[in-house]
Amino acid sequence: MEFNKFKWMIRKDLLTVWRHKVQFASLILFPIVMIALCGWGMGGTVENTPVVIVKQTSGYITDQAINAIKSDTTYDVKDILDDPDKAKQMVDRGEVKAAIILSSNFEDNSSRNVVLYIDSSDQLTTQTLVPTTQKVFASLSEQVKMEQMGANVQGNNPFAQTTQAIKLQVNRIYGDIKYMDFLLPGVLAMTISMSAMMTMGDSIAGERERGELARLFMTPTSVSTVIGGKIISQLIREMIKTIILIVVAVLLFNVVINGNPILLFVVLLMSTLCFVGFGMMFSATAKTQEDYIQIILPIAMPMMFICGVFFPTETMPWILQKIAYFLPLTYANDALRAVMLQGANFRLVAFDLLILLLFTLLFFAVGVMRFNRDI
Amino acid sequence: MKYAIETHNLVKIYDNDFKAVDNLNLFIEENTIGGILGPNGAGKTTTIKMLTCLIPKTSGSAKVAGFDISSQANEVRNHIGMVPQLVSLYKDLTVRENVELCADFYNVDEKIKDKKIDDLLELVDIKYAQDKFVKQLSGGMQQKTSVVASLVHSPDVLFLDEPTVGLDPTTKRVLWDLMEQLNQEGRSIILCSHDMYEVDKICDTINIIDSGKVVANDTPQGLKDQLLKNKEENNEYIRRMIRELETENSEDNIEEINQLKSSLTTEDEWVTVMVSNINEMMIDALENLDVVKQVINMGEGRLNINLKRSETSVNAVITSILANDGNIASIKTNDPTLEDVFVAITAKKRKEIK
Repeated sequence: MEFNKFKWMIRKDLLTVWRHKVQFASLILFPIVMIALCGWGMGGTVENTPVVIVKQTSGYITDQAINAIKSDTTYDVKDILDDPDKAKQMVDRGEVKAAIILSSNFEDNSSRNVVLYIDSSDQLTTQTLVPTTQKVFASLSEQVKMEQMGANVQGNNPFAQTTQAIKLQVNRIYGDIKYMDFLLPGVLAMTISMSAMMTMGDSIAGERERGELARLFMTPTSVSTVIGGKIISQLIREMIKTIILIVVAVLLFNVVINGNPILLFVVLLMSTLCFVGFGMMFSATAKTQEDYIQIILPIAMPMMFICGVFFPTETMPWILQKIAYFLPLTYANDALRAVMLQGANFRLVAFDLLILLLFTLLFFAVGVMRFNRDI
Repeated sequence: MKYAIETHNLVKIYDNDFKAVDNLNLFIEENTIGGILGPNGAGKTTTIKMLTCLIPKTSGSAKVAGFDISSQANEVRNHIGMVPQLVSLYKDLTVRENVELCADFYNVDEKIKDKKIDDLLELVDIKYAQDKFVKQLSGGMQQKTSVVASLVHSPDVLFLDEPTVGLDPTTKRVLWDLMEQLNQEGRSIILCSHDMYEVDKICDTINIIDSGKVVANDTPQGLKDQLLKNKEENNEYIRRMIRELETENSEDNIEEINQLKSSLTTEDEWVTVMVSNINEMMIDALENLDVVKQVINMGEGRLNINLKRSETSVNAVITSILANDGNIASIKTNDPTLEDVFVAITAKKRKEIK
């Protein structure tokens, strides 16, 4: 008898999932998406890092150095320039992760210098790029020495002078970034996105389920007033959470914020608004909170792995890097890292803010259109 | 005649092609208490949602408090209040905060808002609990708060959807009294309920909806009379058929006559008579009457008598009791209830659909 009851408990739950389309789709797709993204996003190695090379002389050794860099999959050489300042500007603007500057006397046997001008705000990339570059030039030094020795033996020596090892100077433009410093902007972006999305579920789908929204919609009140009020209250709640998070990080972990606090506030506000809109769009038609969670979870969780919160997007396959461009967390994360770690000014984060604004407008427009007054 | 609600061929078809409301013509006069009854899935909730402007109609027209639900939705909202079955108050706000929130959503004038709220809280006797959180209140007090929140803008038409479900009999009566009081003050009350006693007790008119249409519309007594009349008409028709068949005097008709006789509605009628001096002779005399099937002496002067239903059966009982020196204090016949009417009408509809 007890067995039959036990059997019914299991059967009832499984039948519920089977007959509930959203729950069933989530049951199948969620683990597939999660493991795929974890595998690609967290288990990948840093490859195809965008870099620029500065070539100030011409010659055999320079060509060898450029070939060595190009043939290593860690690098994706975007350009070869002759002006070090232009290359540095590209790094400062975030167009490339590093500039490999070969000195003007690179063909001179007595003093070959290389400067690795690197965006150290991306900690994982820095951790990979610095030793890889050291290895590339150590190997090149060895190769040059061997060739010199061979030439001496044959009496045909292009390296008349004594060959020195290539000296690599690493210039971390934002200094040595601690992992906590690196992590905080990502954690902030993630906290804002997850929290805003989840609370919007309760605020709209939950109130719809409990009949509280129906009472409001029976009054002479427009949908936009109700939604507007909810957005403002959510903004206030999320901003309080964010400020607490920053204060605790600064006090307990000595996290340093390099950027302008007002700009940081603007970026946080814009990001929060965007994710409140994201939650609102999906909760607009969800009948229950359970439905909302089943819809939002398969989107929200993978977003953390794709959008570079914990690991740079460069470690992911090409297709995921492209998908990241269509997710607002990428831009929130990018802007927060730029302001907090790089001390970026408004001009440098204007693009991210613009994209976040466009996402916000899109989410609100779709949300308001899909919203209905039905109980 | 002015109507609180009037619908003309109102239709609602959902996205899945389900027709929930099918050419509904519903009329409820203003300043009355109108009941809307119907089996589950009859279209009551969809009708209420359209009338309260929560969902759009598919076709037809409807006016609530004289305003069109499509073109004058905000006017409709300004003139209606709704007490939903599910208490839809914010549980973490106090009673007063909930009512104030509703007052502001209804744009109640700031100058009169506080007094209005005070008066309403006193009216339903929950002013003493105005600073309590809704989640701390009993079901009855929550429902009273819900009523206050729905009345804060002085609506002309008040919808109540199963307002007394789960409430104890005393609290139910308080709410019924409140509905009657509000009606006497000039408000139209629209009551959706499955509690037949409640509807019978307080409604002036009743509309029974089934399959998205009004299938009956009358006063509670009118509907009950109609049920008796229908039964009697049906019996009369069958008796006429039997007589015709009997005059043919054919053996072939015997089976058919028996079938017709069995289909006659032979509902027994129970009569309760309070008699001050019951005696054996009186009971014997009653049992010997043709119209009496059974007499049960319940004690303490009460007789329960099972009668064959006929126009003269009650007269015969009274005459017999009086003839045996009985003093009749009261007599009560068990008339059909509204529930009988509801079951008869909706069951008939189900039969037609099958």
